[in-house]
Amino acid sequence: MTGFDAFLGKEFTEIRRTWRLWVIPGMLVFFGVTSPIIAALTPSLVKSMAESQPGVVIQVPPPTAVDAFAQFIKNLNQFVLIAVVITGAGVVSGERSSGTAILALTKPLSRGAFVVAKMLSQVTLLAVATALGTVVCLAMTTVIFDGAVGSRLAMAVGLWLLYAFLLVVVMTLFSAAFRSRGAAAGAGLGFYFLTLLLSAWGPAARYTFVGTMPVMRDALLGEPMSAAWPVVSGVAAIVLGVVMAVGIFDRKEL
Amino acid sequence: MNAPAIELLGLTKRFGETLALDRVDLVVQPGQVFGFLGRNGAGKTTALRILSGLARPTSGTARVLGHDVTHATDAVRAQIGFLPDVPGFYPWMTAREYLEFAGRLFGLDRATLDARADALLEMAGLASVTTRVGGFSRGMKQRLGIAQALINAPSLLMLDEPTSALDPIGRREVLEMVGSLRGRTTVFFSTHILADVERVCDSVAILERGRIVASAGIAELTSRASADRLVVEIDGDGAATAVAAALTGRAWVKALEATDGTLRMTVSDLPAAQREIPAAITAAGVALRRFEVEEASLEDVFVELVGGPAS
Repeated sequence: MTGFDAFLGKEFTEIRRTWRLWVIPGMLVFFGVTSPIIAALTPSLVKSMAESQPGVVIQVPPPTAVDAFAQFIKNLNQFVLIAVVITGAGVVSGERSSGTAILALTKPLSRGAFVVAKMLSQVTLLAVATALGTVVCLAMTTVIFDGAVGSRLAMAVGLWLLYAFLLVVVMTLFSAAFRSRGAAAGAGLGFYFLTLLLSAWGPAARYTFVGTMPVMRDALLGEPMSAAWPVVSGVAAIVLGVVMAVGIFDRKEL
Repeated sequence: MNAPAIELLGLTKRFGETLALDRVDLVVQPGQVFGFLGRNGAGKTTALRILSGLARPTSGTARVLGHDVTHATDAVRAQIGFLPDVPGFYPWMTAREYLEFAGRLFGLDRATLDARADALLEMAGLASVTTRVGGFSRGMKQRLGIAQALINAPSLLMLDEPTSALDPIGRREVLEMVGSLRGRTTVFFSTHILADVERVCDSVAILERGRIVASAGIAELTSRASADRLVVEIDGDGAATAVAAALTGRAWVKALEATDGTLRMTVSDLPAAQREIPAAITAAGVALRRFEVEEASLEDVFVELVGGPAS
C-alpha cells in the first residue's frame, strides 16, 4: 500500500494537533475518575430520595468494586460508543467534502492505504485512551473500595474494545460510502442500536459479536463465560468491514 | 518517439441524463504548454478529474504518459502534478508541513524534500509565512496548490483554473512560472480566461458542451480565422452602403456589415474577394482607402466557435 506510512504519520499528527486528541481520551479519563465515585455515592443518593418520601423503604446493598467497574463499562457502552459513531462519521466524508482527499489521492497513495490508515489511527487512539481510562478507573476503585480485581475489569474492557474496534471499522465504511457526514452518522447510530437490541436475543448473543455485551457482565462478575463465538465473529466482522470499506472507497468517484 | 503526454480517444462521461464529455479526442505532445479552454460547465473539470484518476470515463480512453488512467500505477502518478480548481488543505498544517507531507507521499528523501520545499515556498511567496493554512486567503491557497503540484518535479503538470483566484500580480507570477516550464514539463491547464492562454500557451483546445470544437496551435487557430476576415475603407458619403449592396449575394460573401465608410466582411474565398471588391468599388466610382485582412484574436475565435462571449 503505497503512501501508507506517510499518510498514517499525517493522521497521528492530526490527532495530536486537533480536537481529536481530547474528545474520546477526555471522556475515558473522565469516566475512569467518576464511575467509582458514582458507584460509591449511589446508595446514599437513593436512600436520601427514599427518606424524602414517607412510607417508602428502599434497601440498597453496600456498593462494591464490581459496581464501580459496571458503572465504567456502562458509560463506555453508552457515551463513548456514541462518540465513536459521531467522530467516525466524518473521517472519510470530511476529507472528500473539504477537498483534502483529492490532493492526497492524486499522488502515489492508494485508496486502500487511505482507508486503512484512517482505521488504524482511530483504533490506536481508542486503544490508548481506553487503557488510560481503565487504569484511572482501577486506581480510583482501589482507593475507594476493597477487593478490586483488575483482571475482571481488563477482560470486560478487552471485550468492549473488540466491539468498539468493529464500530470504528463500520463507521469508516459508512463514511466512505456516504458523501454526507450526517448520513454516515445516522447509519452508524442505526448499527449501534440494532446490535444493542440483538444482544438481548439469545441466539444472536451466543453466536455473533453482539454477544460481547452480555459476556462483559459475566466477565465483571467473575462468572463462567463463553466468549469464543462473539470474539471470533467479531474479528471476522472487522476483517470483512475493512475489505468492504476499501472496496467501496476504491469504486467511488471523487 | 515519446508517447503523447495526454491522449483522449472518444472520451465520454455521462452523469445520468447529462452528457458532460461527448466523444472527446485530444492529443497533447510532451513539452507543450497546452490551454484547455471553455466556458464554465463546458466539461473541463470533468476531463481533468478523469485524467487525474478521480473519476472514470463512461466510455473511451484517457491516457497519460502512455498509460491508461483507469489502470495507472503509482509509478505513473509519481510523474504527475495536479492542482484541482479549489485545492483543499489540512487547516492545521503550515505551508511547509503540507509540502513535506506531499513530498513524503512521493517518497522523496529528506535532502531533496528540503531543497524543493525551500525553492517552491520561495516561488509561491510563502517562504516567510508561518501561519497555518486555515488562515490563508484563497490566493495563498492557490499558490500553495501550485507549489504542491510541483514537489515531485512532474513530467506532466495538470492545473484546473490555476489563476482564477489570484490577483493580477499573483496571476502574472503563476503564468510566468508556467511559461518557464515550457520544454521541460508538459503543462495542461484549463481556464476560461482567454488572455492567460494567449500569454503562455503553445496550443489550445476549445471545449464546448462536452465536445472539442477546435484544437490547434494558437498561431494556426488565429491565422485560420484571420484568413476570412476583411476590413475595407472607402471614401465618400454613402459609398460603403452602395458597395455593400453591389456585393451582397455574391457566393463568397459569408457576412457583410457597412458602417461610416467601412465594410467589415467575412468571406469564404479570399482570392475572389481580392479581385471583386476593388472592381465593385471602381464600378461605384469611389476611391479605395484601405483593404486589409483583419487579424483575429483568440477571443474572436472563441466567440465564433462557442457562440457567445467568454470572460
